[in-house]
Amino acid sequence: MGNELIGNNPLRALGLEEKVGGKLQSMMGLVMSRAGLGKTAILVQFALDCMLLGNKVLHVAIGEGLDKTRVWYDDILSLLTDGEKVEDIPEVMKNRMIMTFKESSFSRALLEERLDDLVQQNIYRPECLIIDGYDFASNDKQSLEELRSFMHDRGLKMIWFSALSHREDTRVSRDGVPAPCHEVGDLFDTVLFIRPDGENVNLDILKCEECSLDPGTTLLLDPSTLLIKKV
Amino acid sequence: MSKDLSKVRNIGISAHIDSGKTTLSERILFYTKRIHAIHEVRGKDGVGAKMDSMELEKERGITIQSAATYCTWKDTNINIIDTPGHVDFTVEVERALRVLDGAILVLCSVGGVQSQSITVNRQMTRYNVPRLAFINKCDRTGANPEKVTRQLRDKLELNAHLLQIPIGLENDLKGVVDLVTMRAVYFDGDNGEDIREETIPAELLAAAEEKRESLLEELSMFSEELMEALLEGGAVDTELIYAAARKGTLAMEFTPVLLGSAYKNKGVQSLLDAVTRYLPSPTDVVNMALDLKESEREFPVSNNPDDPLIMLAFKLEDGRYGQLTYVRTYQGKLAKGDTVYNSRTGKKVKIGRLCRMHASEMEEIDSCGSGDIVALFGIDCASGDTFTSEEISCSMTSMHIPEPVISLAVIPADNKSQMNMSKALNRFTKEDPTFKTFVDHETGETIISGMGELHLEVYIERMKREYSAVVEVGAPQVAYRETISQRAEFNYTHKKQTGGSGQYGRVAGYLEPLEEGEYEFVDNIVGGVIPREFITSCDKGFKKGVEKGSLCGSPITGVRAVINDGAYHAVDSSDMAFQQASLGAFREGYLKARPIILEPIMKVAVEGPTEFQGPVMGSINQRRGMIIGTAEEGAYSVVEAEVPLSEMFGYSTTLRSLTQGKAEFTMEFATFKPVPKNVSEQLIKKYQDERKNS
Repeated sequence: MGNELIGNNPLRALGLEEKVGGKLQSMMGLVMSRAGLGKTAILVQFALDCMLLGNKVLHVAIGEGLDKTRVWYDDILSLLTDGEKVEDIPEVMKNRMIMTFKESSFSRALLEERLDDLVQQNIYRPECLIIDGYDFASNDKQSLEELRSFMHDRGLKMIWFSALSHREDTRVSRDGVPAPCHEVGDLFDTVLFIRPDGENVNLDILKCEECSLDPGTTLLLDPSTLLIKKV
Repeated sequence: MSKDLSKVRNIGISAHIDSGKTTLSERILFYTKRIHAIHEVRGKDGVGAKMDSMELEKERGITIQSAATYCTWKDTNINIIDTPGHVDFTVEVERALRVLDGAILVLCSVGGVQSQSITVNRQMTRYNVPRLAFINKCDRTGANPEKVTRQLRDKLELNAHLLQIPIGLENDLKGVVDLVTMRAVYFDGDNGEDIREETIPAELLAAAEEKRESLLEELSMFSEELMEALLEGGAVDTELIYAAARKGTLAMEFTPVLLGSAYKNKGVQSLLDAVTRYLPSPTDVVNMALDLKESEREFPVSNNPDDPLIMLAFKLEDGRYGQLTYVRTYQGKLAKGDTVYNSRTGKKVKIGRLCRMHASEMEEIDSCGSGDIVALFGIDCASGDTFTSEEISCSMTSMHIPEPVISLAVIPADNKSQMNMSKALNRFTKEDPTFKTFVDHETGETIISGMGELHLEVYIERMKREYSAVVEVGAPQVAYRETISQRAEFNYTHKKQTGGSGQYGRVAGYLEPLEEGEYEFVDNIVGGVIPREFITSCDKGFKKGVEKGSLCGSPITGVRAVINDGAYHAVDSSDMAFQQASLGAFREGYLKARPIILEPIMKVAVEGPTEFQGPVMGSINQRRGMIIGTAEEGAYSVVEAEVPLSEMFGYSTTLRSLTQGKAEFTMEFATFKPVPKNVSEQLIKKYQDERKNS
């Protein structure tokens, strides 16, 4: 199954498609928003894009169960297709693995150990990593730096994180990355922010070193499906 | 039985294997005075628990067949179906859930939510069965009901809340604090039959108050009156709390959690109170039937005893009293001597004896009404049949029956065993729709197929014990299927001239993959090139063709056969000639349609200590398994995977040695998938060799 499945896939919308095709260096991206606005939906769209391009995705869900995470994929894929589920399409299914962790038990070291387990036993060699639910408020910059160098070492093409921002925390970095990621914003190549605006839901590009779009550009999300609308 | 349906509960008891549900059922029977002594599942007295009526169950300490029983708690009649815990027997669980209105989900206070609890919970959700949870074995070392309640929320996504807190735990379990009445409840006497209520021990009061507050806050979501009462402050009427919890439970938005230890006789009476208080009566549940006179239009059954009868046969048993058919009545009433109709066969059936079952003992009754579960004698029917009175024609919605995935050959030792085996197989296939049997025409062997190794093993044991059929058993075989992967045309002429009238028929058309379903026949013949009377002959011929594929001899599935041309001869064409022509046409088309072999893929969940996650994943990978996901919860983790059934033989031994016996796995059928090329080649070669040698 080719990428034609997604008429306006999010990686193409951002001009990042080539990267997962293997032509560019690895990158680290971040999707931020307040609670309940659709961070996971965006991450899953990126993941599905990667999978459809033939890349293996490891989806790490922190504080979320396996079934719930699977449902996200099925919901998004069924919106993009004629109601199909990931498990119905073996070529897509083989490119996804989900790992869930309890908030209290997750650590960078543990993730690295699990990943090495998969790779060394030749079970699964992920090329894209989705980390949903990483606690930026409790983890320091060093942990993220280590994750970034880990990504380089293991040859991962992309890591996407989600981060929860709070209305009351108004701190923001020089390049516009809000708290709690204001001090680690420089580690990310791409930072997107979901912002509701009346009846619309906008996806602001706060930062994108590799995108074809300039920072400050806004993409539109369909408020009912949370899919990225055609530019 | 009581006519007041609000005082009837039809409930199931479902759980992970070894959570103690049979012990719990035994205690329920004791406290409701249905039995007068307690026998443990693996007790030294050798009597075994009452609900484990089959000899084999007593020996293995597991429950294989549902045993239906009824009891009365206070003024409520409770029908209980004790359901098996092993995943191989889920058809039993599913059938039980289909006819029940509510269920108790039993969990071990140490093991918590295990993979089988997840399967059972999913089944309860599928059949909209409101449930309450009982955290059993609180006397065991490591008991942690709080943790199990959290798991109910996290893993099963139930809005689960403890209605009690334990007084002491493990060896010190003394009783429970009821968070609704705010009283300490103790279970005294040799068998815990004397209930003593006291004030809450001082050291538990603060914790109890805190838990009660959060419980009431949660329950207030289901009752405005309760919310108002809480806002006003002061004492809250317990009836208000009960009503809110009941409302939440019936809507499946709240799961009451009770705790105790059935083995130590603690907490069972409170559980019975909860069953009568929170689980639905037959009138609280909407059950749908299909009107067979109106193109299977769905309509809700009325529960009204004055309406025409509708009842569902959900279980058959061949016991010492002859054939027993367990039925659930959905509306109307039934009395001894009544005549009812089997909607599937259209046959009239006269009701002889009618009884309530109490595990393997029975009590004759004259009549039963809407909502009852009873057993009938001497009725010839299959499991899942609907019986109605003469004036209506309807069927209860069909039940979800999975396809068998494993088979093995059974060879009777002598003629007597042959006859007994036939009797046994005839019975078992009627009792259990997931158990199938057929004779392989090529080898002459009788093949039995089912849902797993244990499933078949149990039937073989039953053949020996109950029917004295001594059988030799072949190695288990995976139930492969064959299918086609592309459209292919056929044009076949069957012509035979051997003196007398000849045989002639030509059939042309194409085969194509069928996405859903096993076989479809499409007649696109125009202009009478094949006369109408021979069209069904063509269908028969194609059906014969799909019985056995040419790759590995397995049944063919997912094929649409379309005929659009042909020819006949006024004298030589016959039913047989067109059957033969179609069979030839199918074989011709099949080879051109790129046939492939499909194998059953199982959904496997391995649970165990996190330290073994790496080796477990490795072992799955070695078995051509695809890991779907892993869930890690501190010291404990679950690996979910899809693995071909053929690779799962002997996995329990491997897993035991890999994990020092600390991990366990469950599996259930997921789907059929094409086998890899190398496996396909092996299977084809094996089949060809067998044919050469036979």
